[in-house]
Amino acid sequence: MSFFADIKALILGFWTTLRHLGRRSATIQYPEEKRSPFPRFRARIVLTRDPDGEERCVACYLCSAACPVDCISMQSAERPNGRRYAAWFRINFSRCIFCGLCAEACPTMAIQMTPDYEICKRDVMDLVYEKEDLLIDGCGKDPDYNFYRHSGIGVVNPRGGNPDENPPLDVRSLLP
Amino acid sequence: MPKLVIDTIELEVPAGTLILEAARSVGIMIPHFCYHPALGNAGACRVCAVKLIDGPVKGIQMSCMTPVQEGMVVSTTDADAVAMRRHVIEWLMINHPHDCPVCDEGGECLLQDYTIAAGHGTRRYQGKKRTHSNQYLGEHVQHEMNRCIQCYRCVRFYQDFAGGTDLGVMGRASTIYYGRFCEGSLESPFSGNLPDLCPTGVYTDKAARFRARYWDYDMAPSLCPHCSLGCATIPAARYRELLKIMARRNDAVNGWFLCDRGRFADHGVNSPERPRTPLLDGRETTWDEALAVLATRIGELFVSHGPGSLAVVGSPRLTLEGNYQAALLAEFLQAGALCYFVERDEAAAASAVVSLLTGDTAVSLAEVEQADCIALVECDLREQGPMLLLAVRQAWRKGAKIFLVGEGSPREQTDSVSLETLRVPTLADIPLADYSTPLVIATPSGSGTADIETAVTAGAKLVFPLSGPNTFAAALLTREHRATSLAEALASGTIKGLLAFEADLPEELLSGISLLAVADRFPSAAMIKSDVFLPTTAWVEMDGTFINHEGRAQRFRKVMNPGLPIKGLDPALHPPRVHRLDAPGGEPRPAWRIIADLAERLGAEQLVEPLSGRWEFLRDLDPEGEGERIL
Repeated sequence: MSFFADIKALILGFWTTLRHLGRRSATIQYPEEKRSPFPRFRARIVLTRDPDGEERCVACYLCSAACPVDCISMQSAERPNGRRYAAWFRINFSRCIFCGLCAEACPTMAIQMTPDYEICKRDVMDLVYEKEDLLIDGCGKDPDYNFYRHSGIGVVNPRGGNPDENPPLDVRSLLP
Repeated sequence: MPKLVIDTIELEVPAGTLILEAARSVGIMIPHFCYHPALGNAGACRVCAVKLIDGPVKGIQMSCMTPVQEGMVVSTTDADAVAMRRHVIEWLMINHPHDCPVCDEGGECLLQDYTIAAGHGTRRYQGKKRTHSNQYLGEHVQHEMNRCIQCYRCVRFYQDFAGGTDLGVMGRASTIYYGRFCEGSLESPFSGNLPDLCPTGVYTDKAARFRARYWDYDMAPSLCPHCSLGCATIPAARYRELLKIMARRNDAVNGWFLCDRGRFADHGVNSPERPRTPLLDGRETTWDEALAVLATRIGELFVSHGPGSLAVVGSPRLTLEGNYQAALLAEFLQAGALCYFVERDEAAAASAVVSLLTGDTAVSLAEVEQADCIALVECDLREQGPMLLLAVRQAWRKGAKIFLVGEGSPREQTDSVSLETLRVPTLADIPLADYSTPLVIATPSGSGTADIETAVTAGAKLVFPLSGPNTFAAALLTREHRATSLAEALASGTIKGLLAFEADLPEELLSGISLLAVADRFPSAAMIKSDVFLPTTAWVEMDGTFINHEGRAQRFRKVMNPGLPIKGLDPALHPPRVHRLDAPGGEPRPAWRIIADLAERLGAEQLVEPLSGRWEFLRDLDPEGEGERIL
């Protein structure tokens, strides 16, 4: 009986091959031909700007704390108007594992993952991106969010000027 | 002693203990904002709610306001108590500006911790937030009143504990405001404790504003090098830059706090002027060459003038390790002189202190707080040891009488902590025998200690605020190794060579010196004149030991590696993009290591442990402990 079973298996195998001959190939000719990844694909990291065009990043160090491979480093600083920003911001893409924890940790939606997966350099130092390489001229995802219009310490809006705030109190007044 | 049960743990605590403290003694942490071990309770924040299930009182109570009573059964995990704490956190967050990413307290914030612990994640309150204007509080403390949760810790410390008069609480109910009546610098010499005390980010440290997060700091248990009290500190560094200094708890010395000098005074660690490479006749060189040339020149000096022409100089700011190695080097080379003090008076005063202080007469800062009569003799503690003033104030709050003796004790010092004092012309005018624990705080002096000796016979304890962090050890070593003052040694005219380790050499003493070797971390006139200059590490860049004013040896740990801060390096926009194994400017070495290396080149044995012989017992000193009294 095993003789007929073997013949059957042989024919089945050849039939499967024959059937696939007529199908379209799944292989694409990269790099001439490219597939577009899904919008939430996690590749090259960018720093975005808020709807007013200012840098969203406040250099709070949460991304560098969340990063499991320690590839993010930065130095925070203060602008004359009290706005906190990153004096420098560095991501070492030769070490990055594109896990997306930094983007998840970011409280201001500044750091975001893009679907640009083509990061390949001849010199490893070219994979160390500085702030000027990371900062883009757009909001990326969540285009309406502006952290400083929600946090009530008066940097973008005047103190007590956010929609959910009352104006500052006069502490010397005894009126209720 | 009442017995009670907290979360199934039976315990017996002294009467008067608060439930919160009793729970902590068995490892149960009840959340709290307004309670602080040094400041006591206020019952202001309502977040330490527990449920008393059985006993004389029942129901939900604030654990920081309820002393334990016999038969209490306390539950910290009862559903009612947990719900109460959750609701309290929720209303504390009602007016919070939600700005944690740009708040320096973020990461070390009690409010953040307890909000997360309470599980409050979604804002339900639809009303508007109350906001405040901030004040300029000087160059050290940043004010952000919107973050306030009204725990009263700041004013309780500032007014009650430290006797400050210019920061208080204004308004009422939901308009409560902590600040000055008018904008301006905080006047108390202890204002720097506000950032440490504030459970949220109302007061933050301006020096380290927007520089780093708590989890990124390089930190280690350390000591304050600015006076002889030996207060415990935690220096915080990041990217090779010393950012700020926080108080560390040491119940025997500084308690929980630190003075503004210890916190904000210039320490020179990050200074661009700081010498970081060895210099040979004014040009930069390597350690190998500098030490080899120094060894050769010492040999030449010995050939031309004999070993008696060399003086080895330690100092009151050099560690015990360095000072002891300096003594061993002087012995090994049979040097003509070993000096720890420059001026004759200084040496005489220090030796008078070590002869007057004994295990019976010396007291710690914690014991100063227990005194019932304190005489400040010819001293200004604002300069000589501000934390002593804070300790004196605690004694005064407990009822001690404070006397100012002599014209050299200005009233402004006690006014800065709001003390009532009596002025008397001499120490003999105070009836010390009428008090049970009298205390004399006096500027050390080489002459006229008769008054103080009389006071000791009347039962007085003694505190001498000394000049440097390690003056006591320098004085002990002076006695044990028969050292002299540098002025005295040079007066003989036989000294032709100086090996000075972290000593402040006055320029006029240096004429007639043919070989000058200086090891220091500060730039000085002596550095420019020196034939060989060797850079030393700052106290935060090394392990070491200081002996404080009462003879308490304390260990400090290395916080950071020496090196030029990344801030200020070229290019300015970001750190350099080149690989290096060693940090630029990372060449300074601990002074004791330099002495040992030099001794090795001169033929001594290789040194492994800097503390040996008489000091061997200090090798395993615990840097996080209270230190060890050596008297």
